[in-house]
Amino acid sequence: MSTVARIERIHEPFLRPLYGTGPGYVLAVAALLALVGLGGYYLVFVQWSQGLEVTGLNASIYWGLYIVNFVFLVGVSAGGIIVAALAHILEFREFKPISRIAELQAIACLILATLFIFASLGAPDRVYHLFLYPRLESPLIWDVIIVMTYLGLAMLMGYLGTRADLVRCMAAFPRRRWLFRLLALGYTDISPAALARERKLLRGLSWVAIPAAVLLHSITAWILGLVKARATWHTSLLGPLFVASAVASGVALVTLGVVLARAFWRLEIREEVVRGLAKVLAFSVPVLGYFLFAELLTVTFGGETKVLEIFGQMVWGQFAPFFWVNLVVGLLLPLFLLVVPPQMSIGWALARAAGALAFAGVMVMIWPWGGGDLAMLLPAWLPEWGGAIQPVWMLGALVLLILILTVVVPSTSIFVRVGTASALIVGGVFLERTNIVVLPQLYRFLVEFYGPGRYVPTWPEVAVTLGIYALGALAFLGLAKVFPLVELPDEGT
Amino acid sequence: MRWGMVIDLDKCTACQACAVACKTENNVPFATPEQSERGHTIFWMDVLTHVRGEYPRPKARFLPRPCMQCDNPPCVQVCPVGATYRRPDGIVAQDYERCIGCKYCMVACPYGARSFNMGRAEEPESFRRYANPDRRVAKRRVGIVEKCTFCFQRVDRAVARARAEGRALQDGEVKTACAQTCTGGAIVFGDLDDPESRVARLAESPRTFRLLDELGTRPKVVYLMEG
Repeated sequence: MSTVARIERIHEPFLRPLYGTGPGYVLAVAALLALVGLGGYYLVFVQWSQGLEVTGLNASIYWGLYIVNFVFLVGVSAGGIIVAALAHILEFREFKPISRIAELQAIACLILATLFIFASLGAPDRVYHLFLYPRLESPLIWDVIIVMTYLGLAMLMGYLGTRADLVRCMAAFPRRRWLFRLLALGYTDISPAALARERKLLRGLSWVAIPAAVLLHSITAWILGLVKARATWHTSLLGPLFVASAVASGVALVTLGVVLARAFWRLEIREEVVRGLAKVLAFSVPVLGYFLFAELLTVTFGGETKVLEIFGQMVWGQFAPFFWVNLVVGLLLPLFLLVVPPQMSIGWALARAAGALAFAGVMVMIWPWGGGDLAMLLPAWLPEWGGAIQPVWMLGALVLLILILTVVVPSTSIFVRVGTASALIVGGVFLERTNIVVLPQLYRFLVEFYGPGRYVPTWPEVAVTLGIYALGALAFLGLAKVFPLVELPDEGT
Repeated sequence: MRWGMVIDLDKCTACQACAVACKTENNVPFATPEQSERGHTIFWMDVLTHVRGEYPRPKARFLPRPCMQCDNPPCVQVCPVGATYRRPDGIVAQDYERCIGCKYCMVACPYGARSFNMGRAEEPESFRRYANPDRRVAKRRVGIVEKCTFCFQRVDRAVARARAEGRALQDGEVKTACAQTCTGGAIVFGDLDDPESRVARLAESPRTFRLLDELGTRPKVVYLMEG
């Protein structure tokens, strides 16, 4: 048997996405390209020509959807590298095959995050001032430095971890040899000695990567947390809270990616991989809940007016849907999915649905007691987008909750359960970020003079956001075509 | 030299002439009703209102709000490119050529004293004749932050003139636009370092308070409590 044939036989399940292109793929790429074009149009021809006037930002809120996404993506990126580094340092064998997806996510999400910063600048043509006139005292400059360092590190790790497989692909795809040679930067040595050297190097880099990931997200937290002008940001908990959110959402997104790649490309990913990821998630979600509890306890016990006002708005006011959906659907439910084994009986399913309804009922009852407005729970008769979102959010979340409790929870497939849990965690953390970034700006100091602020993202803002995300998804699809997403097993040569 | 301001709330009639004078002196962009509706207005000096209580016994409180010109300015601390800076004479100014529009300073300012140029305001042709020709207050471009500068163009001109004439600057010789126009004489501007100046003497009054003093920003705008 020739080498090529042997490699193909062993690796075929791993290389499947690289062969041929289905109509679904073409369709997805076309749709994403359209979105990128749309976002690009709104950014260049609308926002840059008319100014940030076209966004929902105003005199009371200066950091909106773009910054929420920036913070969210930085977190997801940090989580990605933590998974990869765990695979290299702790020799988590089950994480080995997915370390590449994790690294890719770390790189891609960080690039998307910087794009969001770029989109939020009022004078993007002056972005080079950050490098020409950096003021080292500014947390924003700390962030620029750590983002660059981290990006370089993630790229180096990605390169080292992929190089051997690129060389193997050179043999398997003679027609695309030039591409793999380019990506491997001319490297061709895959002798056992070279591979051992590579592993050692990766382990060494991982020791740097984990503190870098923690620092990356801490600094992002400190951009907000060091600002004393916004109550609830200015707490020492913000750094740790952001790191915990980063780990939870980052690992969850890796998991989701792995589960989806397996479903769509029938990539060979074993159950142990997902089980291992589920374990990490089952640890990180309670940590997040613990931080939330610690913060809420401190705030309510102390009763400091300014802080209490913002938390009151978060728990009972305008942003309550985000808070409760995050708590119930983004934290408790995924934890349940991750740790409780599936039960198949229909009685159990009904009991769970009843439980969800009972919870909703209790919420409706205690809402006015907490100072919330019952009208917010009613259907969308409110004319404005901002007002309409809230009841829709609440109803949607309830339907989702019941659906998941009755359909997903009983499912015996670990992929479905853990995949759903991951998606919910990612969504929940996004809502958490929204509350953290937006609310303290709306209820600022001197709010008795200025009045509470209002923020509703406008269509151009949403379009740019979608465009940037579409760019990320496009990059992922493209890269999946170029090299194997899952580490190839040794052929035993 | 440490420029400061005292605003006597007992003398303030909330006529808002200070806000108008400031706009004219500093070429602060006007806003259309639509822009104003969306909260895209710019005020370097704004008269803030706080209404407490219900009819028939409402109580209104007015607070002219320029930049507090903090001695420990949070905006300067966070600016990534050094576009906002504290001058040796204590004035916190903005370098419009340097600013990248990240809005970090606005997030960091607890007073809401900074404004962002959201978009181009359609300005009537007739307004243009009344624009201040001073190049230092030329209209700012879209996408950057601007703020009250204690009318530093006036300050610097007065200081330069006094120096050219070989004499010390007199107390009250330089006035900001808001102080000059204030109908009730509520706004006093001057050198806080000169113990004989009016502003320094007023700042000793038992009625003084500084806005959000507890944040440690050390504002150089001092209010005299009403009543």
